[in-house]
Amino acid sequence: MKNDNPLSPHIQIYNWHISSLVSISHRITGIINIIIITLICVWVSLLVLGNSNYDLIQKFFETYFGKFFIVGTIWSFSFQALCEIRHIFWDLGYGFEIKTSNITGLLVIFGSFILTILIFGRNIIL
Amino acid sequence: MVQINLPKNSEVQKGEYYKDKTGSKNIRKVNIYRWDPSSGENPRIDTYEVDMDNCPSKVLDLLNKIKNEIDPSIAYRRSCAHGVCGSCAMNMDGKNGLACTKSHSEIKGDINIYPLPHLKVEKDLIGDLSTLYKQYHSVEPWLKNSKKDDGKENLQSTEDRAKLDGLYECIMCACCSTACPSYWWNGDKYLGPAVLLQAYRWIMDSRDEERKERLKKVADELKLYRCHTIMNCTNACPKGLNPAKAIASIKKMLATS
Repeated sequence: MKNDNPLSPHIQIYNWHISSLVSISHRITGIINIIIITLICVWVSLLVLGNSNYDLIQKFFETYFGKFFIVGTIWSFSFQALCEIRHIFWDLGYGFEIKTSNITGLLVIFGSFILTILIFGRNIIL
Repeated sequence: MVQINLPKNSEVQKGEYYKDKTGSKNIRKVNIYRWDPSSGENPRIDTYEVDMDNCPSKVLDLLNKIKNEIDPSIAYRRSCAHGVCGSCAMNMDGKNGLACTKSHSEIKGDINIYPLPHLKVEKDLIGDLSTLYKQYHSVEPWLKNSKKDDGKENLQSTEDRAKLDGLYECIMCACCSTACPSYWWNGDKYLGPAVLLQAYRWIMDSRDEERKERLKKVADELKLYRCHTIMNCTNACPKGLNPAKAIASIKKMLATS
């Protein structure tokens, strides 16, 4: 029998928790990373094809958008890596208590930014 | 399938406003999801002004007060009022829980009350849980044992019994399953945290003889592995249980067996 009753509101009303926020970001950064890896492959292929390509890409990386692209890439990969470490602990059976998962979630969020600063800013810091 | 927006017949409209008639100075606004199957209209949010000076502490008390004193047409499930039966599970302040154990003083601002998320609504705050019950039935939640009934107890060691702690307390209120985004998008195939916790409870029972078959049964890309450790289930459980951990334990057992 077809049920035409309305569907109760779900994502529109449900509160975000740290765990759900990190989870959805993990998925989004995963998709972004696949696109970025593809772009890196294209970049490397272009380099093989000649010197002029190198200059063009170098120019792109020197623009503000290019810099944003680099910082974004570093953040996205940092976030993904930290999330995966968290998942390894989960797969081993640790870290399921609400408190622990909130702490590890926050560590992933802040850690990804710290890693980004350390990696992108290493020339400035050192 | 992921569908962020609600279907057209489910879009929530603004409803009626019930002004306070008691003249109390301690007033709180309560927004409640209403849907009347006989009206043919879309669901709406009715707002009630409630005199909090004469209202006991829990959200269920608040609902009872509204039903008794302001609007008797409002429908919701409730029974024990002590967090044991699981009837009054609903979404309060954006989080699933039992109305009878949730204090309204914990909620800041207006009190928003919705039915459990992503269910077909029967009326007002009552959602249709028949899919969940069917799935519960599918894990065969009863003891399977070939031992002949000799009129004696089926004994279990203290250690084996302790393995069921944190599992047997589940009251099947469906707070966890309806808090889970994976269950929202794949509720017809994915078993959801409540049912998987129950499946794990029977897998872990030392008296049960069909552990292997039970594990084999849940080992399915959709039934089990749609859990992506979002942890909304554990955050929602009003009994303080940990379905996420139970699901992970099933996954671990499958990976190591």
